[in-house]
Formats: sequence, C-alpha cells, structure tokens
Amino acid sequence: MNKKFRMNPIMKKELVVGSRSIKMSIAILGINLFLTLIVILIMATTNLASGSSGYDYSALLMIFPVLGCVEVGLLSLIVPIITSGSISGEREKQTLEIMLTTPVTPFSIAAGKLGAAMTVVMMYMLSSIPVMSIAFVLGGMSWWALIGLIGILLYLGVYVGSVGVFCSSVVKKSIAATILTIAIGIGILVATSVIFYTWIGIWAYRESVGTAVSQPVLAPMVMMFNPYSPIFDFMLRSMTSTSVYGMIDNAWQTPALIGLIYKAWIPVSVALNLLVSLGFLKLAGRNISVTRNNKKRK
Amino acid sequence: MLEISNLTKRYGKFVALDGLNLHIDKGEIFGFVGPNGAGKTTTMRIICGLLKASGGSVLVDGVDALKRPDDIKRKVGYVPDFFGVYDNLKVMEYMEFYGSMYGMEKEDVDEIAVGLLELVNLADKQDTFVDTLSRGMKQRLCVARALIHNPELLILDEPNSGLDPRARFEMKEVLKNLGTMGKTILISSHILPELSEMCTSIGIMERGKLIVSGRVEEIMQKSMGIQPIHLRAMVPGMEADEAKAHVLTVLKEQPLVSGVSYAGEEYQIHYGGTEQQAAYLLKALVERNIMVSDFHREKENLEALFLEITNAAHAAQVHP
Repeated sequence: MNKKFRMNPIMKKELVVGSRSIKMSIAILGINLFLTLIVILIMATTNLASGSSGYDYSALLMIFPVLGCVEVGLLSLIVPIITSGSISGEREKQTLEIMLTTPVTPFSIAAGKLGAAMTVVMMYMLSSIPVMSIAFVLGGMSWWALIGLIGILLYLGVYVGSVGVFCSSVVKKSIAATILTIAIGIGILVATSVIFYTWIGIWAYRESVGTAVSQPVLAPMVMMFNPYSPIFDFMLRSMTSTSVYGMIDNAWQTPALIGLIYKAWIPVSVALNLLVSLGFLKLAGRNISVTRNNKKRK
Repeated sequence: MLEISNLTKRYGKFVALDGLNLHIDKGEIFGFVGPNGAGKTTTMRIICGLLKASGGSVLVDGVDALKRPDDIKRKVGYVPDFFGVYDNLKVMEYMEFYGSMYGMEKEDVDEIAVGLLELVNLADKQDTFVDTLSRGMKQRLCVARALIHNPELLILDEPNSGLDPRARFEMKEVLKNLGTMGKTILISSHILPELSEMCTSIGIMERGKLIVSGRVEEIMQKSMGIQPIHLRAMVPGMEADEAKAHVLTVLKEQPLVSGVSYAGEEYQIHYGGTEQQAAYLLKALVERNIMVSDFHREKENLEALFLEITNAAHAAQVHP
C-alpha cells in the first residue's frame, strides 16, 4: 500500500550525468538564441514592410506558427542526436554488459533512456516559453494554444525519441544511429504521403474516366500514421477556422463513423503514433536483450 | 553452489564449450585457467545470463541459470574482463546507480556501499568522479559494484589483466579478504602463480573442456611429478669425469628416473616418484659412495603444469 515512487534508475542516472555536462547549457542557450533571432527578424520585417501606412500588427500573428514550426524542426533534429547515442553509447563505453547482468529488463533500459531524453526536451521547451510568450502578448495565440503546443511537441519528442533509441540499439556507432533515425523519420513522412497521394491520384484518374466506384474517404487514414499530421492539424486549428476534418469533409462525403474519427484527428493520430513508438521501444528492448546477442566473442 | 553439467556452446560449426562439467562448493575460490579461446569467458557469460547455451545445465545455488536467468541475476555478481565507467558520475553515485538497478533503497545502498568501498580500499574516493580513477581503482570499484546486492557467487573475468604490480597486489588482497568472508568466487586469469596463491581450487580449460580440476594442493602434487630434482655431488677418490660417469650410472639404474642431464656441475633428474621415494633415491646415492652437497626438487610451478597439460591435450587431439 505504502509503495514508494521509484524513478527508472537509468533515467535518474542519465539526468545526473547530463546535468553536469556543459552540452545541455550550450544547447538551451543556442535554441533560445535562435528563436529570439527569428522573433526579431519577423518584427523587423514587419516594421520595414509597414512603412508610412502604420504598423501592421496582424503580420505579427505569424510569430506563433513560425516559432511552432521552428520548434518542431529543432526537435526533429535534436531528439535523434540525444537518443541515438543512448544504447550505442553504452556499447561503445562497455557499460551495457554490466547493466544486463542486473535485474533491469532491456525494455526498462530503453524506456529509461527515452524518459531521460524527454526530460531534456522538456527543459528545452520550457526554457523557450518566454520567447514563445511574445506571440501570446501580441495576440497571436491563446494560453490553450501554448499548452497544446507543448503537449504536441512532447508527443513528437516521444515518437522521434523512440525511433532514436531503436536505431541506437540496431547500429554500433552513435553517428550512424543519428543518421538512421533521421532517415527513418523522413522515410515515414515520405511513405505515408506517397501512399496517400497515390491513392488520391488513382481515384482522381478513375473519376476522370468515369470508373470510380466510391470516394477515397479511407485514404486520409494513412496520414494518421504520419507523425507530423497531428501537428499540422493543431497548427491549422490554432491559426484558422478550419481543420484536417474540415478539409476532408469539404472534399468528400465521409460516413458518420469515419467522420467522427477524422474529427478527433489529433487524439486518434497521437494515440496511433504513440503505439508505434511503443513498438519501436519493444524492438529496441529485443535488440538489447542478451539472448539475441550471441555472436562469438572470445 | 555452482554445478555445471555437460555445458555446450556452439557458434555454427565452432564448438566453444564441449560438454563442460564443473562443481564448485560454497565458500570456494575457484581459479579458471586456460589459454585464449579455451572457453573461460564463454562459461562465465553463460552463468551470468549474458549468453545462451547450446546445451547442458548450470545450477547456481540450486537455481537453473539457463531456464531462470532473471533469478540468477540476483545471485551472481559479475566483473567482466573489459568494462567502462560513466563520465560525470561520482563513486558513491555509481554504487547508488547499480544498487537501484537491484531495486535497493538509497539509504540501504549508501550503508552497504560505504562498507564495500572500505573493503576495496576506496573509502576516501566516495566523492571522486569514477572516470578519474586509475585502472586498478576502477577494477576494485567494479568488484565493489558487483557485490552491492550481496550475491552468492562472484564471477571475475581476468580481474588482473592490464594492472601494474601494485594494483595486482591490492586486487589480490581484496579477493583474499572476500575469501575469508566466505564468498564463493569464480575467477579466471592467465597469471597462474597468483591464482594458486588466492584460490582454494583450480581448473584448467583447453578447447572448451575442463582437463584438470581439483584442490590447489592436489594440483600442486601433480606438478611435483614434472619438476626435476637438482643434485650436486662428488665421489671421494675419483676424478671429475670418472665421478660424473659413476653418478650418471647410479642414477640411470634407479627405476623411477626417466631422464638425467648434467650442466654447470649440477645434475637435473627427472624423477617420477613421491617425496618419500625421492628420499630413498638420496639414500641409494649415499650408499653408492656418492657425497651429496645439494639435493632439492625444483619449486612447484603451476605454469609448467599448465603447459604440460595443455600441450598433452593438444597432442592428443592432433594424434588421437
């Protein structure tokens, strides 16, 4: 009943070690400097463009989506770098073997590494809130949009991070794991888009020759597995009065049940992609597992 | 404590362990000796659950290591031959980290870790970063780490490799202390004389098989059979050449003498008898008017025995 909360030991150790490294301070400084420069650039451009006709405050509304997209981009690059050395680094340092002689499961090792990476990502994001708040002050976003953005960035961090941990468990060198993580990310992005647009293209062709049977209302389902699609829907909802569902509904007549799923695009897509993340973590655990690591050693 | 039966490990066609049998009692310090590729590390890694066996069984304190590897992890502490440490982590934090991997509370780990660091002579290094320690200190820290969960069996793979003489001595003292505490230890090494000083039993491995195993004294007794007797002697009233011929004749008459050589006024006698029989050899020499100034058996040499045994095993495989 009186069970104490116990933090994943690997995550705890990673946080202790990481907090003593100068890399984290430099990264936080770099990210915030970059975001600040972008805000200054937008404000300066707006100022120059306004000229004698007065300051165009509506142009400042661009700050939020631009900063949001920059954060998404940064996260997509930083998380692979953080996580890609998680398992391969332990192998390089010859510390993984000792870890595997303890009762901690390979899955816990993978989850601990991801948890530590997510804590670092959280720190990066929280540190950027003051810069992001400029958009709030100038009316470009609501508090809910800010909270929503943090949530969606966290989700993206978990997704990319789990791919990073998986890649780190597959290849021996951290640099190779970073490249593989980015390649898999781009691969998923491209593959889902290609399948979606091919589906639509085939339908459009059949429609033009009069052989189309029904509208491709299921095609957008593919895009639900695109990890960036909930972010796209989030940005669309935050900045405009429409959404992904609105776009689909405008184009085709969606059946009620499918419509419900599309209406809840963000939660459904996030849930699906988090399941995929769990799969990557499980695979990472399997790769770490000693029983699979039976190559001749000595 | 440790019962290995018919343990086999194959990598494709290569047989790393060929039906290994081994028994180690509780409280024993067992030294594993063998050339590179003999299968020592493979055996240790299988016991620790780091490698899957192809066949056979391994029981640690009655628990099947091959069927219940997770249970074995709480019974075994492992010090690998090569290992690294983390940057930016202090000695005490290192111990706390591994303690927490066994589900131990921080307070308990701290209490145990202080005692273990004292045992390995690192008590004054608690706040030192582990990556700044010397190799010998890291090795001793790794032993302390392997003991954090109070395992029944401690496995050390070449713990002295790469250490300077001072660090080797300190490591030896640590292991001797552990022996007096009643820990069961399985240790592999290439430095055979050191093993004989530390271990209660030793086993010699060659090509995945245990060729010889037993108490150190028994093995030493076997080694005596291959150690030559050194003799310095003279015969009253005879010139040097005549005296040498006489001594050689007398020696060759003895049934247990398999060979005699003479160099630097000293005879080297290859004698297959026991110490008591060697005393009779001395008596026989004296009775034949040979005056003996020095008669001693060369000191037991585990290294020589090791070479003799492994060479014999190799020859048997080449010419069955």
